[in-house]
Amino acid sequence: MKAQRVSLWLLGAILLLCSVHARGLRRCLISMDMHQIEETFQEIKRAIQAKDTFQNVTILSTSEFLHSIKPLDVCCVTKSLLEFYVDRVFKDHQEVNPQILRKISSIANSFLYMQKALQQCQEQRLCHCGQEATNATRIIHDNYNQLEVRSAAIKSLGELDLFLAWIGKNHQGTSTA
Amino acid sequence: MLPRLVVLLAALLGLRLRSCAHGTELPRPPSVWFEAEFFHHVLHWTPIPNQSESTYYEVELLVYGVEPWKSIPSCSQTLMLSCDLTMVTLDLYHNDGYRAKVRAVDGNQHSNWTSTSTRFSKDEVNLTVGSVKLEMHNGVILGKIQPPRPKMAPEGNTYESIFPHFREYEIAIRKVPEHYKFTNKKVKQENFSFPAPGELGEFCVKVKPSVGSRTNKGIWSEEECIVLSQHYFTMTNLSIFFTFVLLLCGPLAYLLTLQLYMRQRGKLPTVLVFKKPSPFSLINQLPSSETQDTIHPLDEEAFSKVSPELRNSELHGSTDSGFGSAKPSLQTEEPQFLLPVPHPQAGGTLGKGAPLELESSCNSGSSNSTDSGICLQEPSLSLGTGPNWEQQVGSNSQGQDDSGIGLVQNSEMQPGDVQGGSALGHVSPLEPEVTEEEDPAMAAFQGYLKQTRDTEEEAAKAGCLEEESSSTDGLGPQFRTCLDAEEGRPPPALAKGYLKQDPPEMTLDPSGAPAGQWNQLTEEWSLLSLTSGGDLGISDWSFAHDLGPLDCVAAPGSLLGSFDSDLVTLPLISSLHSNE
Repeated sequence: MKAQRVSLWLLGAILLLCSVHARGLRRCLISMDMHQIEETFQEIKRAIQAKDTFQNVTILSTSEFLHSIKPLDVCCVTKSLLEFYVDRVFKDHQEVNPQILRKISSIANSFLYMQKALQQCQEQRLCHCGQEATNATRIIHDNYNQLEVRSAAIKSLGELDLFLAWIGKNHQGTSTA
Repeated sequence: MLPRLVVLLAALLGLRLRSCAHGTELPRPPSVWFEAEFFHHVLHWTPIPNQSESTYYEVELLVYGVEPWKSIPSCSQTLMLSCDLTMVTLDLYHNDGYRAKVRAVDGNQHSNWTSTSTRFSKDEVNLTVGSVKLEMHNGVILGKIQPPRPKMAPEGNTYESIFPHFREYEIAIRKVPEHYKFTNKKVKQENFSFPAPGELGEFCVKVKPSVGSRTNKGIWSEEECIVLSQHYFTMTNLSIFFTFVLLLCGPLAYLLTLQLYMRQRGKLPTVLVFKKPSPFSLINQLPSSETQDTIHPLDEEAFSKVSPELRNSELHGSTDSGFGSAKPSLQTEEPQFLLPVPHPQAGGTLGKGAPLELESSCNSGSSNSTDSGICLQEPSLSLGTGPNWEQQVGSNSQGQDDSGIGLVQNSEMQPGDVQGGSALGHVSPLEPEVTEEEDPAMAAFQGYLKQTRDTEEEAAKAGCLEEESSSTDGLGPQFRTCLDAEEGRPPPALAKGYLKQDPPEMTLDPSGAPAGQWNQLTEEWSLLSLTSGGDLGISDWSFAHDLGPLDCVAAPGSLLGSFDSDLVTLPLISSLHSNE
């Protein structure tokens, strides 16, 4: 009898953990080819990053910010950052060079697509924003506000590769590192 | 007033210019960039335009997002345009990047900073390959790619760990004289293989690595070449070749050795050949004999023809069949030996069987003898000459007594007449003409009768002995004498039997058989058995022929039948000389 009880308890605990973990595993994945976006960015990286004169300041890379986000908050943070870029960075940046502008536009369009994909996850209530996710979003906005708008925008554009790498890492399942 | 202002302005301008020259004394380096490979990060910059010998450059590094710029003093050497910053950028693959700036310094002057245009991040690392190894296996070229293994990489920072997924390699192959074609192969692991083009020559391969999920650039590796040569002498080929050689040569060698062995074994010594007398041996001895298998009695007529030839002929030697006479006079005389012709009428069986046996036994016995070859045998001896010989040998008592030809007869024949076999050769039962006349009597004396110790012969012997004694030679033609004594005339050749020419040690009993034999010469053959106990192997028939006048042969009613002319011509027949 004792053995049976113990086994039942163990089974229940395992099931509970699995459910909890499954909830975390049940992430809202963006099935998108990030590689294409990354390649596009690489083409304009030099032009954009060269304009970044405030080299000792960062917006996205604060204290290993992106690396410290938990898997449960990935969906929320991703959604927030996508809104940040679409609503603030791409609008604030004034690009003169048409070729660079074209590429920035393509990246922006990709971000819009990703936003729509995440919106479906939010309707399914899979994209719950916790406290840590909310705090993380606020920090980014604060960093962005400390700089001049044009410099901030340029800097944020220059850090797109970090954002794209982070998305690829968290939203591609086990296929990416 | 005005000059003072002008001087002041000039002074101010001069100061300003100087200050400007100070600030812009040294131009800033035009560009600064990183050239990085896996854990090999090198900062490059272009020199300032008017670089002096004492110009050196200061380098500062910044971790992106971290405030203080860190100076790198190791790069501050004169005329140094690049600097390895690997050791200070080890976290490149884990952080968000670095920023570096360079300025020129010359003495008290320094230039403005020139920083890298981009944030030095992991994306700027150019991917390379450590090494490529090529091997050839069964017509397939196997390649193994070794990722870079830099020494400065910290523990655990391997190429595979930094880029764990989607590592890809592009492979380009070319044949030596040609150039690289654009049809390259892409593999997703560090091993690759491609079938050998089947041509001989040198093939070169180069590899460009890449990571599928990243935008890192790859750099083509150096060429790795392999020479394809026709391997005829592979282990498998050699083993197959040697097995085939063994399979082919083994049986051949075995057969050769077997044949050699058999040949050596098969060679019978000539001494033993006699046991199987070939029918041709007699022919050799009687080459001119037409009917070699039969011995015809001497024809008086034929003999008469021959006799003059042979009278004075001194036929000795090997051709002599043994009809040697101790007396020299005998030699000059006609060969007296008379061979009883195997009359076909009488003793048909004998005639038939005789020739074969005659040949067989004669060959064996006469191969080494000086016998003329005339061998008289009994057909009953068809069983073999061996036993016959043995019989003769066995009958030493009788054989030895016989000095002439001994007739070995079967029991079927008149055993009484023939006492066992003649000591020596078989005596084919020649059927002289006499046999026709007196069959029973002749049957007993077919061919050469063995000289027995019959009492009736003794008388004849006695008579003969007297004359025998006259014959000096022990092997003298005693028969003749006996014949002479009886008939008072030269006995027919028939009467002459074969006298055994005993070797010196042999003691011939002169008074024995020969005498007895010739007592019956008139009607019958007197056969002289060759009694040579030890000369069985050779038909040592010493035919003691009566070298008397050949008229013996010509005598009518001679016991001898017609002698074959051919036989007569035979030296053996003619030479009735005693073998010496």
